[in-house]
Amino acid sequence: MLAGSLAILVLVLALLIAALLRRPAQSDDSERGTGLWLWTLGLAFPLTTLAALTVYGLQMGERLLPRDTPDLVTVTAEARQWAWTFGYPDAPGLATDGVLHIPAGRPVDVQITSRDVVHSFWVPRLAGKLDALPGHVNVLRIEAPAPGTYSGQTAEFNGAGYAGHVFTVQAHDPAAWVRFLQEGPP
Amino acid sequence: MTQKPPRRGTALRLHRQLERIWSPDPRFRGWLTTNNNNDVGRLFLAVATLFFVIGGLLAMLIRAQLATPGSAFMGPEAYNQVFTMHGTVMMFLFAIPFFEALAVLLLPGMLGTRDLAFPRLGVYGLWVYIFGGSAVIVAMLMGLSPDGGWFMYPPLSSAAFSPGIGADVWLLGITSIEVSAIATAVEIVVTVLRYRAAGMSLSRMPIFAWYILVVAVMILTAFPPMILGSLLLETERALGWPFFQVENGGDPLLWQHLFWLFGHPEVYIIFLPAAGMIATILPVMARTTLLGYGWVVAAAVSLAVLSFGLWVHHMFTTGIPHLGLAFFSAASTLVAVPTSIMIFSWIGTLWKGRVQMKLPMLWLLGFFATFVIGGLTGVMLAIVPFNWQVHDTHFVVAHLHYVLIGGYVFPMIAAVYYFQPLLTGRFHYFRLGAVAFWLVVPAFHITFLAVHVVGLLGQRRRTWTYDEGQGWELLNLIASTASFVMAIGFALVILDIGITTFSGLRGKRNPWGATTLEWAAPMPSPAYGFASIPIVRGRYPLTDDPDLPQRIARGEGYLADTSRNRREALIVTTTTGKPLQVAVMPGNSALPILLAVVTSTSFLAPLVQAYWLSALALVGVVIVALVWVWTTAPRQSEGLVDAGHGARLPVAAESPDPPGWWGSLFLLVADGVHFGSLMFGYAFLWTVAPNWPPPSYLVPTLLPVLLALGGAAALAAGPRLAARAVATGHRTALALVLSLFGALSLATAAASVMLARQDPAGHAYDAALWLLAGHVGFHAALAVIMLGYLALRRISGHGLRVGEARIVSLWADFTAATGLVALAAAWLPGTFA
Amino acid sequence: MTNILRLALPFTIWLIGFSAIYALQGLTCSRHWPEELEPRLALIGGAAVFVVIQGLALAALLALQSQSRFVQTAATILGTAALAAALWTVLPVLTITVCG
Ligand code: HEM
Ligand SMILES: [Cu+2]
Repeated sequence: MLAGSLAILVLVLALLIAALLRRPAQSDDSERGTGLWLWTLGLAFPLTTLAALTVYGLQMGERLLPRDTPDLVTVTAEARQWAWTFGYPDAPGLATDGVLHIPAGRPVDVQITSRDVVHSFWVPRLAGKLDALPGHVNVLRIEAPAPGTYSGQTAEFNGAGYAGHVFTVQAHDPAAWVRFLQEGPP
Repeated sequence: MTQKPPRRGTALRLHRQLERIWSPDPRFRGWLTTNNNNDVGRLFLAVATLFFVIGGLLAMLIRAQLATPGSAFMGPEAYNQVFTMHGTVMMFLFAIPFFEALAVLLLPGMLGTRDLAFPRLGVYGLWVYIFGGSAVIVAMLMGLSPDGGWFMYPPLSSAAFSPGIGADVWLLGITSIEVSAIATAVEIVVTVLRYRAAGMSLSRMPIFAWYILVVAVMILTAFPPMILGSLLLETERALGWPFFQVENGGDPLLWQHLFWLFGHPEVYIIFLPAAGMIATILPVMARTTLLGYGWVVAAAVSLAVLSFGLWVHHMFTTGIPHLGLAFFSAASTLVAVPTSIMIFSWIGTLWKGRVQMKLPMLWLLGFFATFVIGGLTGVMLAIVPFNWQVHDTHFVVAHLHYVLIGGYVFPMIAAVYYFQPLLTGRFHYFRLGAVAFWLVVPAFHITFLAVHVVGLLGQRRRTWTYDEGQGWELLNLIASTASFVMAIGFALVILDIGITTFSGLRGKRNPWGATTLEWAAPMPSPAYGFASIPIVRGRYPLTDDPDLPQRIARGEGYLADTSRNRREALIVTTTTGKPLQVAVMPGNSALPILLAVVTSTSFLAPLVQAYWLSALALVGVVIVALVWVWTTAPRQSEGLVDAGHGARLPVAAESPDPPGWWGSLFLLVADGVHFGSLMFGYAFLWTVAPNWPPPSYLVPTLLPVLLALGGAAALAAGPRLAARAVATGHRTALALVLSLFGALSLATAAASVMLARQDPAGHAYDAALWLLAGHVGFHAALAVIMLGYLALRRISGHGLRVGEARIVSLWADFTAATGLVALAAAWLPGTFA
Repeated sequence: MTNILRLALPFTIWLIGFSAIYALQGLTCSRHWPEELEPRLALIGGAAVFVVIQGLALAALLALQSQSRFVQTAATILGTAALAAALWTVLPVLTITVCG
């Protein structure tokens, strides 16, 4: 996408410079040139590139769509000013503050909501962001490729504590995950 | 223009007479009573520039804070106020007023008329803006500014999380400024459609007129959702009506929809006037004509409407379903097409012409280099997966500044340099302008390229500081340093323009060799604009007839006769530009500023809990408005008057569609969109908000339903009958009484809704019912006041005009129609539940 | 004035149609309205109606010529563009998962 954008930028600027450098003996007040400038460059050119880009974007979005899988794990995330509480339906009663525990290598649905204002759940290395809205539950599919910690943050302005409103995601290997569900955080 | 050969001195004599008729009061108070577009526009421009400086200073504070990690310069409380105010000041107090100011100054000249359609409305808009803007700034200096970001999402901006008056300052101050923008927009639309040179058909209009027409209509349709949103949030904050509180049936998402329904078109409302300036200046700089005029008009129109179908792309992360996102993603990429048509039309124009590298052209090149990048990052942002990654990072900050500064500020600077000779009569002679340019543009790119990169590296916008060791330090330092250079550059631009304004060289007319009418006026443009209304035969009148300026000055156009001793302008047919009516413009008056004072008081008094003062001021609004209309209405009928060239035309006030009728029509467009947004909000809560349906319903009884139906019918019929009676010289009393009855029964029906549901703070359903009923009640009250005015006119013996009755009829129709819809929406669910 | 409306008409219809199809998407996916139809069919039906109306608008503009040549040309361009826009914006209904 970046390369394509750069190419377009270079093209447009090159045309601009060419137009500036061209100094016809007499300026032309007619409407000649509509074919090239308007039909081709103004209309056909963006239509084709945008069509390609949009189709690509839609497909990408399609691939990110959560599918039903048997080994799906569900966790909950509740935001408030300025903390996160995570819950685990697989282990009722278990809750963690500031650290979300998930199994690595398995798809996880995070059910996101908020207790007060609008927040947003964002773990840059695992997925795009999704808002935490009071009264609504949004579901985000994430999957950690390997055990380890991933840093996360709120990505919707939520008041004075916004900058420090961060959390981490702890991805466990299968054994550690089972232990976590039984014994809680180590 | 065949007339007897002009005698020497004709032009000078005409000039003296017109000057006497049109000029403002020369004393200081002239500044408060003038309604001439030259004065209003200048003041407007100066104030908007002042707000740009304030917004810029705030930007410097932001960059100073972000220059280093862990900066102790500001804490989060201060930082939040500063960036909120920066965004708010730039968007609402600078960007929109600045182009409105240029439109007020230039539009009459471009269209070949003498002033805008409603000069006093323009003054009113100006002062409401000045008062509202000052209130916002004063609050900031007192440390009471809003701190929820320029889009003020509730519940963060609700009373529970933003106590204090910061959010109220934003809601009330900004709403009053939006009211002023709507006033100016109505004025612009009616001017472009009706007040033009003779023979200026739609296809001969200068391109800027098309752009500004499109923009004004966009203001009329985009601001009402925002005004509604502010009304909802303010009633929630002040009275506890729970529109955004989930527990009581509200939904914070409703705000986001209403805000972005305004917010996205807003971006194009800002860009299109700049595009209009580019399309005006560029061909002149290239000594040629715009390539594909019709294409550009079509592109502007389609861009305007498309921009209303994009709002959800600001909400891609709110959990909207996949397919919904896909729709908006597709529509968002689509807007690039008309934009690209404009860009290539301009490059094609440069191609066919011989470009002169004058200062305005230089800034236009700055525009190209910047805006194209901003457009491309914008397309990238329209792609959903990418958006999910960079939403709310500094990447977005960089994108929006590329578009706003590159796409708006640079072209506007070009426009100021270009039009300066016309506005001040003085010429630029200094090298300072070029130096400033070479400071601003490179520094801008260094600043915001660095900001793009830190955004991609994950720095979140609106965070007051950041930690060391994330690789952001150097980039932020570069961005901040370059931004200070840019600020110095902007200061030099302002200085340069100031120096030229007060000490530039005087020069001859039309220095750039432009082809449009504004350059046919003397320089600097006098209060009356044109000594006579020009007659045009093509799109480029000054090319078609190089002698035109002299002919106009000698009074060879329309309305050169000053013997009626009043300000007159020509009204033409919309499509063909055929002379139709003679408009009589009002003289100097203190009424507009007085109305602005009471309006602003009624808006701002609630800030200090002075609700009684607010109510009192509202009464003042009604009284001043009535005096205003009363004193501008003509006393006697004069039939047809001589407009020159053998044309005998009716005076506008005596025709069935006076300017007031057109103004009302477009004001009602805005009102209708406001009502539509209210209905949308109601439906939205009903279908999306979590705690719906409400615990109980309003079940209508027969009497109010009958009152509503009968009232609406009477209100629609009464004013019509009155208009017909006036036209045929019959008695109007009966028709007026019938209308009054209609308005009162409709109001009673609305009151019954409120009486049946006495606790609007209980559930969003009840709050919505109160707003629906309030809409009906408010408009019924308005109808009563208008009917009272008609009755007074009749009794006083000045007589009624058909036009006046038709204006009231327009408002009455709107009241009846939306009243029925509103009440049906209130009653039907309970009937079927 | 009718000439100005002529110019505004095509894309106004697009805006209404676009908003309607978005609303339909919300209603059919979360409320299963209309009940008789499967969401995908409902949306394809809605999209078809939208495109047909947009086409009719263009046909009407071509049939009822304006006296102003400029307006007629501009209206034709806008009508065609709005039809293309309608097709473009309903495309996702056919190509991606409905109610995912
Ligand atoms: C003079 C140079 C300018 C600089 C250096 C500058 C800098 C900035 C920075 C750094 C931010 C991000 C603050 C944050 O998110 O933490 C920002 C936000 C913003 N700026 Fe500017 N800006 C400038 C001019 C403008 C202009 C001319 C406009 C509009 C016409 C504008 C509109 C905005 C808006 C709307 C925001 C978003 C505010 C928010 O997040 O609520 N800026 N600016
Ligand atoms: Cu947008």
